[in-house]
Amino acid sequence: MVKKMMLALGALTILFPAMAFAEDPSGATLNMGLNSLWIMVSFVLVLLMQGGFILLETGSTRMKNAGHVAGKTIFTAGLATLIYWAVGYGISFGGDSALNALFGWGNFFFDPSVAAGEGENYPSTVFFLFQLAFAIVSLSIAWGGFAERAKLSSYVVFTIFFSAIIYPTVAHWIWGGGWLAEDGAQDFAGSTVVHLTGALAAFAATVLLKPRIGKFNKDGSANEILGHNQVFTALSVLLLWVGWFGFNAGSTVAIGDGFFGYVAFNTMLGAGAGGVAALLISWAVSGKADITTMLNGTLAGLVAITASCAYVAPWAAVVIGLVAGVLVFYSVKFFEKIKVDDPIYALSVHGAAGIWGTLANGIFATQALAEKVGIGQGGIIDTGSWKQLWVQFESVVVVGAFVLAVSFLVLGIMKLIMGFRVTEEQEIIGLDLSEHGAYGYPEQMKKAGQNIHS
Amino acid sequence: MSDPVRMQLLGQIGAADHVEELRSLRDQVHEQMEALLPTRPVEQFNEQLNEVHDAVIQRSVILAEAEMARLGMGSPPVPYAYILFGSGGRKEQTLSSDQDSGVVYEDPVSDSAEVKQYFEELCKLIVFHLKKVGYPPCEGNVLSSNPEWCLSLSEWGSKLDRWFKEPAWEAVRYLLIIADGRCVYGEERLLDALKDLFFTDMLNHPIIIQRMLDNTMRHKVLLGIFGQLLKEQYGVDAGSLDIKYGAYIPMVNSIRLMSIQTGIRETATLERIRMLVKAGKMSVADAALYDQAFRLFLRLRLMTKEQRANGLYANNGKLSSRKLTKEMTDELKSSLRLGKKLQRAVFKQTMGRLK
Repeated sequence: MVKKMMLALGALTILFPAMAFAEDPSGATLNMGLNSLWIMVSFVLVLLMQGGFILLETGSTRMKNAGHVAGKTIFTAGLATLIYWAVGYGISFGGDSALNALFGWGNFFFDPSVAAGEGENYPSTVFFLFQLAFAIVSLSIAWGGFAERAKLSSYVVFTIFFSAIIYPTVAHWIWGGGWLAEDGAQDFAGSTVVHLTGALAAFAATVLLKPRIGKFNKDGSANEILGHNQVFTALSVLLLWVGWFGFNAGSTVAIGDGFFGYVAFNTMLGAGAGGVAALLISWAVSGKADITTMLNGTLAGLVAITASCAYVAPWAAVVIGLVAGVLVFYSVKFFEKIKVDDPIYALSVHGAAGIWGTLANGIFATQALAEKVGIGQGGIIDTGSWKQLWVQFESVVVVGAFVLAVSFLVLGIMKLIMGFRVTEEQEIIGLDLSEHGAYGYPEQMKKAGQNIHS
Repeated sequence: MSDPVRMQLLGQIGAADHVEELRSLRDQVHEQMEALLPTRPVEQFNEQLNEVHDAVIQRSVILAEAEMARLGMGSPPVPYAYILFGSGGRKEQTLSSDQDSGVVYEDPVSDSAEVKQYFEELCKLIVFHLKKVGYPPCEGNVLSSNPEWCLSLSEWGSKLDRWFKEPAWEAVRYLLIIADGRCVYGEERLLDALKDLFFTDMLNHPIIIQRMLDNTMRHKVLLGIFGQLLKEQYGVDAGSLDIKYGAYIPMVNSIRLMSIQTGIRETATLERIRMLVKAGKMSVADAALYDQAFRLFLRLRLMTKEQRANGLYANNGKLSSRKLTKEMTDELKSSLRLGKKLQRAVFKQTMGRLK
């Protein structure tokens, strides 16, 4: 069979020599093509992380809200696409504005050229898609703070503000040539830009919404509101983990010399270390090897390594992941202690670990890798200089303050004007019924309902 | 409670004519005993408290017998023993323990169905009375009113044989419950005969020890790897210590398993420790330490939060860590370490024997 085919091909080549020796693409074109393909694949991987968020959020919450929680992720991804296309992308990467340090301006209702131009490494279309997927991830992280009690309309309004202003501004500061980029802030794939931004929006939301009914007792002790499907939650972590290779390794936006492989390698180490550390610390401290904590630890490892995956040695990736796993365990306890209800653990997984990951650059980044990436310099251990740590600290504080302020403002005004939280009755019935009129799990919920009424 | 007051109360309990009177006497006892806890050695307190419980239960049985007679069902057709299991069997009831009970009666010479029915009715009455006096029934239905736990001696014999032959986890659990059985009213010799059967079967089925070990080690001591206390994480009891299942029960289980292997018939944990020393299975020094640790657990267990629900005295065995002084916390930690050491010793000893 193969023989015959080779024979036929050989004969045809002799007949039509032009087919085999059609004009060779130039090295640059090949490079551009490979880059584009890689970015496109990465975009698909990062978009698929939404599947992870759907399972994560649904698995960690109760059955009566499942349809709502899952469905709204898809809806807001669509809405965010339109907003980011119309406005957000222009703020992040739209080119020079009068206040270029603060935000970009231009390319609104983005109308890209159909192919890469001369000398470009990839067409702007794939870059747009890749950046859009990041914006949607950040948005889905923010939903963690909304879970199980925010009105559907508040999701709509917040999507608009978040994808038009909040996220794009931060992305511009660090990635779009804004003022933190000029300072040399290192955030390879977005520990700060994507994760901390999303987490702080979630924090503002959960503080303004107040805890879910039944989360805290009168004496201040917390109840454990268990999610309805731990298998979903575990699968979500796998899905996110896989997607993260698009997120981190894709952020090289180039095939180049294969550096993306190194980034992926560090990412894998960080994730593994996060999960192991979290399971061990929960077992050591509370006497139980807690699955939820382990899953959170794996995600925290990924979040933390996101900023540093291109800047650190493999051993440092392991250390960063281990610390993230321990940190997330104590962070969850901390938020419970100050009575902030964090249903999906977004504040701990994306916030605390995001901050740690960003700061970790200032400690573990090596000079050689910083030069390779071309941003900032090595951290304390390699260079003995505190400069990078200071820059990292500055970016966390400034971004944190900005996101918190704008999120509180936007959500606060929303709360005043249109109301933010559903009524007590709606919350108890569940958002599936109150916001959409149908249960995500009709059979089970009707059965449960009958028990309540009888 | 001074001795004269206590004797007077015991006298009143022994003379009570109806259940309501028993209830009000029990309520009085509670008020007085609660105030007494901090003032006297826990062993003495425990003994006096269990004396009262025994008296109340005995009187309830007598009242039930009398009521049976009034209802025209006659008097007990054959001798029987009313048995307490669980903490009652071990003479370690708190102010709010539940009912775990059973009955063994002499093999009837004639009409066993009628005899059976008499005891079924009697036990229903007793359990009902005790509920009125505030003892919640056992959730696992280990109750004399459950026909499975109200049997003649020969029925018990074949039941034990079955359990020993097929030691599924439930059978093993029941066998461990039997080991704590104590006759509170009636013919002691009947329970002795039952225990004879139990210990003979034990000798014939050495493999059962392995299964008992698995069951016994299930409850983990409340101590983390850093030597910290493991507290409840969530819920209204957040910050509390599960004294019952994290301190008291692991120790009870360990000592019970050692005692069963040694053929000791005492049921109270402190008595079992003494007997273990006598039998040469435990050094005097170790025994003194375990003794002290167990007394602390008894005391803390008596301090756990009481809940009164539907007129029943209940308790979830959890103690708020805020109730503990620094000294008590330190003492608890070192006692828990001893509890762990004991568990390891029992494990090693048992596995060594099996090899």
